[in-house]
Amino acid sequence: MIQVGNVLVSPGEGGVYGERMLEGYRVWDPRRSKFAAYYLLGGGLDLTPGMRVLYLGAANGTTVSHVADYVETVYAVEFAPRPMQDLLEVARRRKNIVPIMADANRPCEYAPFMEEVDLVYQDVAQPNQVEIAEKNLVFLKPGGYFVLMLKMRSVDVRRDPADVVAEARAGLERSLDVVDLRWLEPYHHDHAAIVCSRRE
Amino acid sequence: MLQRYWFGDVDEQGCRGAGTDPAALAKRAATLCTDMDSYVPIDWEVARDCGIVRTREEYIDLLREVCTRLAREKITVAYQARDVELLQMVRMLDEVDSVINRLQERAVEWYQVTNPSFSRKYRYLPARKMLGVIRRGARGGLLDVAEEIDRLHGVRSRLMREVSARADEVMPNVSALIGGLVAARLLSRAGGLSELARMPGSTIQVLGSEQALFSHLRAGTPPPKHGIIFQHRRVHNAPREVRGRVARVLAAKLAIAARLDYHRGVLVPEFIEEAQKRIDAAGVVA
Repeated sequence: MIQVGNVLVSPGEGGVYGERMLEGYRVWDPRRSKFAAYYLLGGGLDLTPGMRVLYLGAANGTTVSHVADYVETVYAVEFAPRPMQDLLEVARRRKNIVPIMADANRPCEYAPFMEEVDLVYQDVAQPNQVEIAEKNLVFLKPGGYFVLMLKMRSVDVRRDPADVVAEARAGLERSLDVVDLRWLEPYHHDHAAIVCSRRE
Repeated sequence: MLQRYWFGDVDEQGCRGAGTDPAALAKRAATLCTDMDSYVPIDWEVARDCGIVRTREEYIDLLREVCTRLAREKITVAYQARDVELLQMVRMLDEVDSVINRLQERAVEWYQVTNPSFSRKYRYLPARKMLGVIRRGARGGLLDVAEEIDRLHGVRSRLMREVSARADEVMPNVSALIGGLVAARLLSRAGGLSELARMPGSTIQVLGSEQALFSHLRAGTPPPKHGIIFQHRRVHNAPREVRGRVARVLAAKLAIAARLDYHRGVLVPEFIEEAQKRIDAAGVVA
């Protein structure tokens, strides 16, 4: 990953969402993107040029566009029509994004388009985030990484976020090895990144 | 094991491609249903050996084309639901309302400082009537603004009629009970017809009074009797002691009406007649 001074950037055509440019690179703002926050907070996961990525909860394509700057192919899955409109526009200009309109809860809807990926990145505002993760493991290569951006508030607003994280971690450990768990304070409140690897 | 992928069917005997026309591929892909228990992810080289593409670049290009087509179709279908536009219409109406109010208040303040002897006291002059006074008495910028506000009033009433008519069409039963405009506001607060149809009457009763509801739950203040449905005449005209009862009965009937609208989509006169009777009966002071 490229940094200019302390600023995380990505190479690629700018002007996607009005992001700042720095020495010809697009500034990747940790306040807007959880992946950037995770990386800047010391998360050791690198995006490498050969990677194929499944991105669940692509939304308007802001983070997707940065991820696409680094990797070979991004399969971007989004469910809601309004953000999908924006995602299609981002995908039109970036030849390595495959925009898929489908529900991450129902992998059978997009399975006919999927190949095995090196990284699954999940950022969905749903109460059953761990369950969704388990359903999507079928696309992950053995030894590949799963990044779950856990939104505690979507799981249950009444519960203590720390409990929610502990429960999610236990849930993921049923089928994956958790290699890193990092809260995204101060950039995102009540969010944690849980990085897992799939057993060989 | 047969695997059905977007570019064709693959099994032990080999691969049967489905052609290279993106439109045809998209149409075929829309019908695919995968059994996840026996599913194996695609190896793109199979598509190459199958003669669909020559390089990985071509593979991704064609896949993108197919997926983009599918997504556009799905978006179009989602937006065709008639309640989607109604939602935006009623939100715009409420926005126009608040803009008109703020402009009017400001225009009145401005007019008062240009005319030292003017006062609204002892004259029945709501802001709407003030507008006429201002247009007769003002000059320059203030006059321009006053005329613009007047035009906005025209926009607002046309929009209101449109909202009302669309609500009658999208949710005939709910509209028959509380009128198109209030029906549309309920829809907007619920977030869509399917959401409204899934709500219990007690939720519909307090839609729009979330602040009072949560202060009740948190601090034990008196619970709200009504939210948006207060705007309906049978609620706000009801004597104070039965207002809660009217709101409750009305909301219960609205919950049924919303389900009728969602599942049948046509007016059910027998239900409406029965419901009207019940609601009217609730408003009678014993």
